[in-house]
Amino acid sequence: MSVKESPGIGLGTASAARPLPERVRMGQNARRKALTAVRIGALVALTVGALATPGFTSTLSVLSLLTAMSFIGCVAVGMSFITITGNIMSLCLGATLSASSLVFMASLGLGVLPAFLAAVAFGVAVTAAQGFAVGYLQANPIIVSIAGLALILGCSDYITGGQRIYPAGGGYQIFKEKVHGMPVEAIILFAAVAVGQVMLSLTRFGRNMYMVGSNPRAAEAAGIVRWRTVTGAYTLAGLFTSVAGILLAARYGSGDMELGTGYDYDAIAAVLVGGTAIHGGGGSVLRTLVGVAVIAAVKVILILHGFSQQMQYLITGLIVLGVVMLHTLGESR
Amino acid sequence: MNRSPTVGSIPGGGAGHSIITTRNIWKSFGPVEALKDVSFAVRPGEIRGVCGENGAGKSTLIKILTGVYRADRGTVLVDGEATDIRRPQQAQELGIALVAQELSLTLHQTIEDNIWLGNRTVPLFHRRRVFRDRAVRALETVGLGSLDLDTPVAALSIGQRQLVEVARLLTRNARVLILDEPTAALSDVEIEKIFAALRALKQEGRSIIYITHRLGEVFEICDTVTVMRNGEVVATHHVERIDRDRLIELMLGRPMGEMYPDSSSRSGGPLMVVEGLRIPGVVEDFHLVAPRGQIVCIAGQIGSGAAEAVRAIAGVVPEATGRVVVSGRPLQLNSVPQALASNVMFISEDRAGEGIFLHMSVLDNLVATRLGEYSRGGLLSWPALRSAAARLAGRVGVSRTRLRARAEELSGGNQQKLAFARSLERKEPGVLLMNEPTRGVDVGARSEIYRLMQEFCDLGYALVMTSSDLEEVMGLSDVIVTMYRGRQVARYERGQATIHRVLSDITHPTVEAVA
Repeated sequence: MSVKESPGIGLGTASAARPLPERVRMGQNARRKALTAVRIGALVALTVGALATPGFTSTLSVLSLLTAMSFIGCVAVGMSFITITGNIMSLCLGATLSASSLVFMASLGLGVLPAFLAAVAFGVAVTAAQGFAVGYLQANPIIVSIAGLALILGCSDYITGGQRIYPAGGGYQIFKEKVHGMPVEAIILFAAVAVGQVMLSLTRFGRNMYMVGSNPRAAEAAGIVRWRTVTGAYTLAGLFTSVAGILLAARYGSGDMELGTGYDYDAIAAVLVGGTAIHGGGGSVLRTLVGVAVIAAVKVILILHGFSQQMQYLITGLIVLGVVMLHTLGESR
Repeated sequence: MNRSPTVGSIPGGGAGHSIITTRNIWKSFGPVEALKDVSFAVRPGEIRGVCGENGAGKSTLIKILTGVYRADRGTVLVDGEATDIRRPQQAQELGIALVAQELSLTLHQTIEDNIWLGNRTVPLFHRRRVFRDRAVRALETVGLGSLDLDTPVAALSIGQRQLVEVARLLTRNARVLILDEPTAALSDVEIEKIFAALRALKQEGRSIIYITHRLGEVFEICDTVTVMRNGEVVATHHVERIDRDRLIELMLGRPMGEMYPDSSSRSGGPLMVVEGLRIPGVVEDFHLVAPRGQIVCIAGQIGSGAAEAVRAIAGVVPEATGRVVVSGRPLQLNSVPQALASNVMFISEDRAGEGIFLHMSVLDNLVATRLGEYSRGGLLSWPALRSAAARLAGRVGVSRTRLRARAEELSGGNQQKLAFARSLERKEPGVLLMNEPTRGVDVGARSEIYRLMQEFCDLGYALVMTSSDLEEVMGLSDVIVTMYRGRQVARYERGQATIHRVLSDITHPTVEAVA
């Protein structure tokens, strides 16, 4: 019995198990490079735009940029945790911010620190409850956040009668001070980013958040208790959001349900612009900080050029749209 | 006997007799040559198997035949005429149709709606008599004549859905049907139905290109088989003129050696004892003893409860009840953290959905379950994590240069190795539970996974696995437990079972069923 090989076969291309996706990967790499190029280009354009704007580099405007960043930033850091755990976004953080500002102002009579703790406790309680609903009861995160929003608006309106709350005591001005020329708000933002980033990359809980966001079922099979992780992420979101509420209340000297209007949107925009994947499992707080800087810088530039509030919405809207489209292009299918 | 009809003498190699022929096709993606000088021809009424490891070029060839890609060089002939297939639409018009792995049916519409969906020759109101009759005829051809046309597709089994998809392509006059691993998610009974349908299609003179990793199926259903490796067609044979070992050798480009590890040295006392395991409506009174250093295979079809029983022991089935004792200590069911604390680990059959984190790095995947071991004062130590991941990657045979790559960039076999790596380096050897550990893994990586299993045995782990590949069950296991409809049928020590006994146990045993 003769076994003959056909010509060409015996030429011995030793075959190890070669994974197919090599070319897929190359396509992806090319796309990632293109994306990076677009990102860098956008940053350069933004910088040039900023430098070309008269007054942008003045101390006053840099400080106002930092302050604007710190409000959006604290909410956006909180939002990042929700996005990373795969729960897309919360539409309730703006209202949580406003309500925390009310709690802070109303309890200032007890002293600044107790008022601070009361406001934070309030924010944490509100979002932790939502986190439990999302994580344990597996409710849809967007719907839960809308329900939370309605509940907060309804309750606060019932209690305050729609009135502003003025400080029940003094001492809150400490949050408007400067330390060596640096606004306290900005210091708090950088502290929030540092705490958030350490949590994400250096603690088990942080890694668990990524795993739950990347693949919830695999996370459970790996022994991670999903609902605890999700509830924890929401708790952190409430913590950072209520800090933003306190800062804003201190800045304006009163608590108001209007304070938080638009902050959900800006925070989501910052998270997306920073490049955190909307479907969870990726991203970081540092990335979000970049996103915050971009959003805040665009706003300041527009203000300096005398554009209206509507124009600011329009431009941030376009930026978010562009970023979302870039994300889709950058994703492998 | 001459065993060598190859490229030059493909059965049906004359273009005149073939429905579809490719001549000297080349296709590259950047610097990667996906197809090199591929010539391939299929005759009317022929069932042609196509085998090859992942990356051999099977999918690229199919995509050229169906108009998804265009060849860089070479010709495609349809009915002997050079044809430039530019779009999938055009391929369908020529009668070349793909039954894809992800079916293109809409679940909540009826069978009839699905059959006519997107067919341009059919008016909006397609529920007229003539169209119903044509749909029924197509269903009868594929052996689904008993189904009501108004049944929603969601109510059908996966196998039935595949057949509906085939019926749909028949109404579009498909002459060449391309099936890409149609049986990957099917039970034996359903596979038999698919095969019956394919034989009926062959009788009608239609051709079938059948891509599969399961070599047994090649010999069962195909007339001829084409083996691809590294973008080339290395051989085409009549199935009568080739055997399994030769087929594997052609796929790998080297002799296989012994596929399954030698099990003679395995022995040990019981590590895990399961008694009275119950999942309401799925598994009834299941018991199992898993000895240290041995492999227990639970054989059963989809729906037999075999996979569910393993999942229950792993802690991922909330409604499971029963007594499980590991190393003399009772294990609380329904909790993965408890199972892990008792050293019971689980590798899921659903790698993408439950096994690994596709969008995270290889490193993240390797250390997913051992973060606690590498933290100091509550903070993770990344240098320690990185060196642990590098060590684990080395032990399971994944290149250390890939640590930063996303898991989705790895082949199925390498992804599975990541799952195995998680169970290595436990403080003491434990129980390793696996469902379908070699599903979607090509033949080369498969033997590496078997080697890993042997390593776990040598370390003193007790391995419990399910597999729908009976050959694998026979080759690997020290103990075989057979299951049918939620109940245990029999238990065999190595050497006691034959493949026929096991097959008859899991298909039509003589025990009472749960459901």
